[in-house]
Amino acid sequence: MRVVIAEDDTLLREGLVLLLAGEGIEVAAAVDNADDFLAAVRAEQPDAAVVDVRLPPGFTDEGIAAAAAARREHPGLPVLVLSAYVEDSYATELLAGGADGVGYLLKERVGKVEQFLDALHRVVAGGTVMDPEVVSQLMVRRRADDPVRTLTPREREVLALMAEGLANPDIAGRLVVTETAVSKHIRNIFAKLGLAHGDTGHRRVLAVLAYLKS
Amino acid sequence: MRTAAGATRRALPFLLRGFPSSVVALVLLIRVLLVAAFTLVGIGWLAIPSTVRSVRRWAGRERRRIAAFTGRPVPAPYDPPGRDDPATRTRTLLADPATWRDLGWVLIHGLTGLVAGLLAPVLPLGAVNAAVVPLYWKAMPADDPVEAPYAVTSWLGALGMVPITVGWLILTLVVVPLLAGWQARVGRRLLRPTRDVRLSERVTELTATRAAALEAHGAELRRIERDLHDGTQNRLVGVIMHLGIAERALRRDPESALPLLLRAQDQAADALGELRDVVRSIYPPVLAERGLDGALAALAARCAVPCTLRVDGLRRLPAALEAAAYFVVAEALTNTAKHSGAEHAEVTVSLRPPADPDDEEALVIEVRDDGHGGADESGGGSGLAGIRRRVAAFDGHTDLASPHGGPTVVRAVIPCAS
Repeated sequence: MRVVIAEDDTLLREGLVLLLAGEGIEVAAAVDNADDFLAAVRAEQPDAAVVDVRLPPGFTDEGIAAAAAARREHPGLPVLVLSAYVEDSYATELLAGGADGVGYLLKERVGKVEQFLDALHRVVAGGTVMDPEVVSQLMVRRRADDPVRTLTPREREVLALMAEGLANPDIAGRLVVTETAVSKHIRNIFAKLGLAHGDTGHRRVLAVLAYLKS
Repeated sequence: MRTAAGATRRALPFLLRGFPSSVVALVLLIRVLLVAAFTLVGIGWLAIPSTVRSVRRWAGRERRRIAAFTGRPVPAPYDPPGRDDPATRTRTLLADPATWRDLGWVLIHGLTGLVAGLLAPVLPLGAVNAAVVPLYWKAMPADDPVEAPYAVTSWLGALGMVPITVGWLILTLVVVPLLAGWQARVGRRLLRPTRDVRLSERVTELTATRAAALEAHGAELRRIERDLHDGTQNRLVGVIMHLGIAERALRRDPESALPLLLRAQDQAADALGELRDVVRSIYPPVLAERGLDGALAALAARCAVPCTLRVDGLRRLPAALEAAAYFVVAEALTNTAKHSGAEHAEVTVSLRPPADPDDEEALVIEVRDDGHGGADESGGGSGLAGIRRRVAAFDGHTDLASPHGGPTVVRAVIPCAS
C-alpha cells in the first residue's frame, strides 16, 4: 500500500512515516501543506491519504478542504483525516462528498497502532471510519423522548460500533459475542429506531450517523 | 531643601511666562467689557463670535502652559463648531459653560498673573541683591546709602545682610512654588471640561476601551488555544504515537524499541516545557509567588542587557494588572535586548497618586535604554503593538520615544481603580 501524508507538525509527520514504514506501508510523500498535498496526490496516485485537519496558513480546517479537493480530483481516493479534537461538523463535511473510503479519527488514535492500521485498511477497502468520540458525542445529545433511550446498554454499544464503521464480525470480536448475537441486536436496534434494514457497509454507517444527528 | 529648589526652578519660568499671558488677558478683558457694553446698546453681538474665538485661542495657549508645568494634559472642553447661521452660533457660544469658564480665567489671571509674574523674579533677585550688598555698599555715596531694606552704612550693617539673604531665599523657595501651584490649579480647574462633560467623555472612552479589552481578551484566548493545540497537544500525540510504535517493535524486535522510547520521552519533556510556557504567558507563576516587584527583579536579572530596577511605593495590585505590567516590562526588555544595541537598561515602576479627586491612581511603568533608538512601531514592532494592546485593555496608554541615536523610552500608564 502507498500513502501520502499531510501533517504540518514536523515531529508528528516523521513519526507517522516511521510508524507506517515499520508496518510495511510505503509513504510515497509526506508534506506539510495543502498545496503540496494535492500536488503529491496527483504525482503519486497513492492508495490512500492521511491528512491533518489543521494545516497552514489558517490552522483551522484546511485539511478538510484539501481532502475534499483531492477526492473531487480523484474520485474514490480513500482519505483518513486526523484531528486534534472532535468536531462533528468536520465529520459531516467530509461525509458530504460520499462516505465510502472516508475516515475521521482523533490524532491520538495512531498510538493504538493495530486499530489505526485496521482503520486505514477499512478506509482503503472503501469503508467508513468514525472516531468513537464523534459517535459518543452524538449519542449523548439525545432528547428525553428519543428512541435511542429505549435501547439496552448492549444495543447502544452495538449502535456505537456500527456508527464507527465496524462490520458485524468486527463488532462481534470487540464485544466478544457471536455474530448471530450481533445480528439480533442490530435487528432490534433498527426496529426500535425505525430504520430500513438490510443496508451494509458504509451505507449503514451513514444511516446510523444521519439518524444520530437528526 | 533640594526638592524646594527644584520646585522653584520649575515654577519660576512658568510664572514668568504667565506675565505676558496675563497682559493679554487684561487686553481681552477690556475687549470683552466693550463688546458687552455694545451688546447692551444692540450692535455688540456681531463681535461676540470673534471675541470668543480670541479668548479660546488664548485659553488654548494657557492650557499648554499649564500642561507643560504640571505634566498632565488639560483637555479642551469645546464642542466641535456646528454649521449654524451666525445668530444660532452666537447663542450656542453663549450657552456653552466653557465660554464663561474661560472668561473666569481671563478675569482671574488678568488680575493676578501680573503680580505673580513680577513677584517670581523679584524675590530671588532680592536674595541676590542682599547677598552682594556687603561687596558694594562702600562704593555708594554716604548721603545715599544702600537701602536693603535698612540703610547699610557700616560693616556691622553689611553683616546683617546674611540673615536678610536667608530670609529672601526662604521667601523665594516658599512663595514662588506656592504661587505657581495655585495658578496652575485654578487655571486647570477653569480651563478643563466640567464634570458633566468629563463624565460623558469618559463613558465614550470606556465604551471604546471595553470593546478593545474584549477584543484583546479574545485574541489572547485564540493565542492560548493555538499554543495548546499546535504545541502541547501535538507533542503529547507524538508521545502516544512513539509509544505505540515502540510497543509494536517490542513484540518483533525488542532491541529497536529503545530509541523509540527515548524519543517518546523527549517529546513528553517538550510537551511539559511548552505547557509551562503557555502557563507563564497566561499568568506568570512568579507573580503569585513573589509579587510584581519580585517578578520584575527576576526579569531584570535575566535580561541580556544589564538592567537596573527601581520600584517605588508598590503594593499588591489586581492579578490581571500585575500580569499586564509584567508583560509590558518583559516585552520591552526583550525588544531592548534584541534590537537596541543598548549597554544598559533601566526599569522604573511606581504608583502615581491621583492629582485631584477626579483623577485615578495610576501604575507608571517606564523602560529606558541607552541604545541607538529608532524603534519603529510599524516596522515589525509587534512587541510594541502587543504592549499597546495589553495596556489599552486596562484603559491605560503607552508612549514610545525613540529618536535616532537613542535613548528609547517606553512608558505605560495604567490607571488602577483602588
